Amino acid sequence: MTPIVAFDSVTKRFPGVVALADVSFDLAPGECHAICGENGAGKSTLMKILSGVITDYEGEIRVRGTPVRFTGTRDAERAGIAIIHQELNLVEQLSAAANIFLGRERRTPLGLLDDSAMIREAGELLAGLECPIDPRVAAGTLRVGDQQLVEIAKALSLRTDILIMDEPTSALTEAEVARLERVIARLRAQGTSILSISHKMDEVFRLADRITVLRDGRHVRSVERAATTPREVTGWMVGREIADHDFHGSRQRGARLLEIRDLTVPWPEHPRGYRLRDVSLDLHAGEILGVAGLMGAGRTELLETIFGVLPPSWTGSIRLEGRPVRFSHPREACAARIAMVTEDRKRLGLFPDLDVAANISLCSLAATLRGGLVNRSREEDLVAGPIRSTGVKTPGPHAAITGLSGGNQQKCIISRWLLTQPRVLLLDDPTRGIDVGAKADLYHLIDRLCREGLGVILTSSELPELLTLADRIIVLAEGRLTAELSRAEATEQRIMEAATAS
Amino acid sequence: MTPSGPALGGWLPPRTELALLAAIVVVFVGTGWLDPNGTYFNSWAESRDIILRNTALLGIIALGAAVVIIAGGIDLSAGSMVAFSATTCALILTLCADADDRRLVTVGPVGIALAVGGAMLSGLLVGTLHTWLITSIRLPPFVATLATLVGLRSFARAMCLYVTRTRWGSESQQINVNTPFFAWLKEHNVWITTATFLGLAVVTWIVLSRTVLGRHLYALGGNEQAARLSGIRTENVKWFAYCFSSLTAALAGIFLMADSSVAQPGQLARGYELNAIAAAVVGGCSLQGGVGTVSGTVLGALFLRVVIDAVSKLIKASADVYEGMIVGIIVALAVTLTQFGQLARTGRALFPGTRGLAAIPTIATFAALLATMGAANVEGLAGRTGLLGLAVGVAVLGLLGAVRWMEGRRSP
Repeated sequence: MTPIVAFDSVTKRFPGVVALADVSFDLAPGECHAICGENGAGKSTLMKILSGVITDYEGEIRVRGTPVRFTGTRDAERAGIAIIHQELNLVEQLSAAANIFLGRERRTPLGLLDDSAMIREAGELLAGLECPIDPRVAAGTLRVGDQQLVEIAKALSLRTDILIMDEPTSALTEAEVARLERVIARLRAQGTSILSISHKMDEVFRLADRITVLRDGRHVRSVERAATTPREVTGWMVGREIADHDFHGSRQRGARLLEIRDLTVPWPEHPRGYRLRDVSLDLHAGEILGVAGLMGAGRTELLETIFGVLPPSWTGSIRLEGRPVRFSHPREACAARIAMVTEDRKRLGLFPDLDVAANISLCSLAATLRGGLVNRSREEDLVAGPIRSTGVKTPGPHAAITGLSGGNQQKCIISRWLLTQPRVLLLDDPTRGIDVGAKADLYHLIDRLCREGLGVILTSSELPELLTLADRIIVLAEGRLTAELSRAEATEQRIMEAATAS
Repeated sequence: MTPSGPALGGWLPPRTELALLAAIVVVFVGTGWLDPNGTYFNSWAESRDIILRNTALLGIIALGAAVVIIAGGIDLSAGSMVAFSATTCALILTLCADADDRRLVTVGPVGIALAVGGAMLSGLLVGTLHTWLITSIRLPPFVATLATLVGLRSFARAMCLYVTRTRWGSESQQINVNTPFFAWLKEHNVWITTATFLGLAVVTWIVLSRTVLGRHLYALGGNEQAARLSGIRTENVKWFAYCFSSLTAALAGIFLMADSSVAQPGQLARGYELNAIAAAVVGGCSLQGGVGTVSGTVLGALFLRVVIDAVSKLIKASADVYEGMIVGIIVALAVTLTQFGQLARTGRALFPGTRGLAAIPTIATFAALLATMGAANVEGLAGRTGLLGLAVGVAVLGLLGAVRWMEGRRSP
């Protein structure tokens, strides 16, 4: 059978880097094909070429046997190719229907917008995707999973038969992932070919017929799913096998640092009425407490309440080393030696216009002062320590932070907080969007910090991460604490049961 | 944020419009009631004409501002664009009139058509220049239109000097326009400008809510990246937005020139751009882009003018002294009110911490000074202005202090 898409020696050079070198593989009709690789492996570049976003490259792409060279996304769309980006591209102020038909609006014979036709067709498309939302609702008010289905509906309205999905499940709840998998199965049954970029091995192995691995812009291999194992694929991705590391072995649990009792955080503008309800937990020095939960369960809100980000309108008690505390600003939490590495590094953590040193020294600038002014050489001395101890790979303290990989950026932010000499370290999904090799690095770092006596609270959207790192795991569901499991008791199954309990 | 407007496809209750309508009626009726001279009753036709004419002129520019703001941009150049278009119009008339005719009465229909067409063309040119600066040079819209705000007026003045010198042999800073057509326009300015404004509003409404272009304007303002990835030629959409904005200003320029029978690039329409932006924002346009309606903008313009007119009736001072203050207060209040619901729900305090404490005497001082100055213009209060100002200041201090005290008690 002719492959529906064939890549033949595709090469893409950016100034100073070869993003793709001589990549050749093909996609069979009706197949679900997973593209795996670390960040920077060239997956996104390849997908941008196929979807017409990047138009200058070497080599050849054939669609249904015919060589093509797209001049733009519209050109690719006409060939039946649509891409769903990881960062969803919806106009939040417009309705779901308007988004689905954006750029190809239905018109009345007078040339005006035919809203009723668009709403009707959008409703049909969405219903076919198990997405029973009102197409007139503004896209920004929808849940992430529904927003994604709006994007898929948009692709379907184009009569797409080649669908590219960039990390489609990265922001979805388990139920939404299951729904998406059913939708994908149905699309395949209708003959749609799917190219899916993913980090998550379990999903790749559940969905894909074939797996292609890229590393450093090169095609490592394409294999049938049945002929390989997750561990083997991960090994190809990083170019080495990741040794399973026993992180827990000899951790010494110390004195109690945090004692939270019956914490209830109100949420007046939400029908549920609370972000968290009656949550109690303890954190000791030298231990890692994992917080599991689906999106919206209250993981981030728990950390934000402890750190004084949310308004201090909560009830219950938080004691830090026995003293009751109620922070109304992160500054007060810092002074009490609590540190928090926020989720969404780009939006809430990094200062892209500041260099590496300035990003690290930000919370401890007082130590860099000489005569009331920030002294650059003192700043360099100050940041040199954590850069070394956390293993940030940077050309120098004054390099642009945006030039660093995600893992190194995250180490910079952890460095920033280590300089405040915290006793309690709050980590909100710290490895999100970081590739496999760098994750292992961060695991070692977090483990070491814990062994040095820090109390760590860690949230993660990936259960294996919590099971690898945490000594104990608490599970939140809809703002309530539904389980507290020791490491011996914790399994993915038990955590998921608690996380979906109501 | 509750998005509103027909671009959503569904019908949402236009809360902004209803609130504005109510506010307009309240201010209007209140002024009629309180005005010691009863201007609205005694000279109703005259008052009506002043408000209509001013609203129409402001509204025409505000529609342009609204389109750019909805598209996620900003156009600061409108006031200078008005002066530029008026000057262009007058200079073409100068060139078409007899060489010794400095009142421009000898211009024929062709000359008038050329002058009006030329003025509108000047709007297209400036809009295109803005688009090029923003999309190709990649200047932020704020910077690009700030540059033309400063530059265009000076350019118009230089143009005025150059043309008058070459045509008449002597330089002039202004050009008197007594062409019969423009005199006729001036005589009927109320109904012509109002009809033009309403016509333009209807056209803009159709474009924004019922056409693909309008949908793309909202999309561009809401999420430029997503719009581009949906295959929308965002540069062309911007081109339309900035040209539309400049064209509305150019149109207003022709009317303003006719109104004053003179094109005076140095002073004409100074500060109009901010009033137009204020009208759009009061009318519900979000400076973040993607949100706004024509009806809101029209009512926003009417509301601003009604309030300015009310103050000029109640305080016997020249309205333009107070105009800036009124616009400033209204914009701050309007945006505060739209966020007030959110403020109340989240329980965020109005006067938190030291900053809040410092804000209370600041606001009280301003209120006291304003009351003192205002009272000086009201009959019967003359010798007691200081006392009145002090009383108002103390009252505001007490009121805000009480609010702060309540907030202190409510939150732990």
